[in-house]
Amino acid sequence: MTESDPAVLETAIRAALVLVSGLCVLCGYRVIRGPTNPDRVVALDAIATNVVAIAVLFALLTGRGLFITVSLVLAIIGFIATVAVAKFVTDGEVIE
Amino acid sequence: MTTVIMRTTARVIVPIILVVAISLFFDGHNLPGGGFIGGVLTTTAFAIVYMGFGLDFLERGILGRDVDPGKEPSRDRVVLAYRRLFAYGFALAVLSGLAPLLFGKPFLTQTFEMLEGVPIYDHLEVASALAFDFGVYCVVVGGLLTILSVVGAE
Repeated sequence: MTESDPAVLETAIRAALVLVSGLCVLCGYRVIRGPTNPDRVVALDAIATNVVAIAVLFALLTGRGLFITVSLVLAIIGFIATVAVAKFVTDGEVIE
Repeated sequence: MTTVIMRTTARVIVPIILVVAISLFFDGHNLPGGGFIGGVLTTTAFAIVYMGFGLDFLERGILGRDVDPGKEPSRDRVVLAYRRLFAYGFALAVLSGLAPLLFGKPFLTQTFEMLEGVPIYDHLEVASALAFDFGVYCVVVGGLLTILSVVGAE
């Protein structure tokens, strides 16, 4: 955070952090209860996306660019995981 | 079965991931990054190619070699290349750790050199840790790709 930022920005970022963390907990419920495995996969993917959002919000709050790198790498890994599971669900094998 | 969507996405995503991997590799020893995470991201780029185009695409489509589909996958020449990359990377990491002993410094001592007047960058920091990082990078890429291509063919 720099001096030129409006005061409401920090409040908004903190509120968004709490909101996204709460969403992670709700997704955790879906992971545990799941009824089916695809439900769990979608919930885990949503958690990964939420963690990316948390990293970006934290980078905005602290002004440290390294959390952007963290979010970038997490987004890439999350994408690969989702594609691999989707191929496994439809084809039964990841690499043919 | 791989869809057109997956193949088109792979064409766009793979270069971006490789650029991120290279930038993280050169960020190492100053900022978060380094050989390991660069190697892991490079492997994920290869994993997308394997998932989108199949296991034989690297040898047949890119390198232009003929592959027998039923052949033992661990005998493929590209897998042998991965194993060689693993061995050479390991040797490079060990040798870069042993090199300071020649100058009477402890094992794994690192130093750096500032180059002035370089075009485009103006000044460039060349660290000796880059050699060790590159060894780690080769070990990670070689090892993970060997696992991926051999286990993926099971």
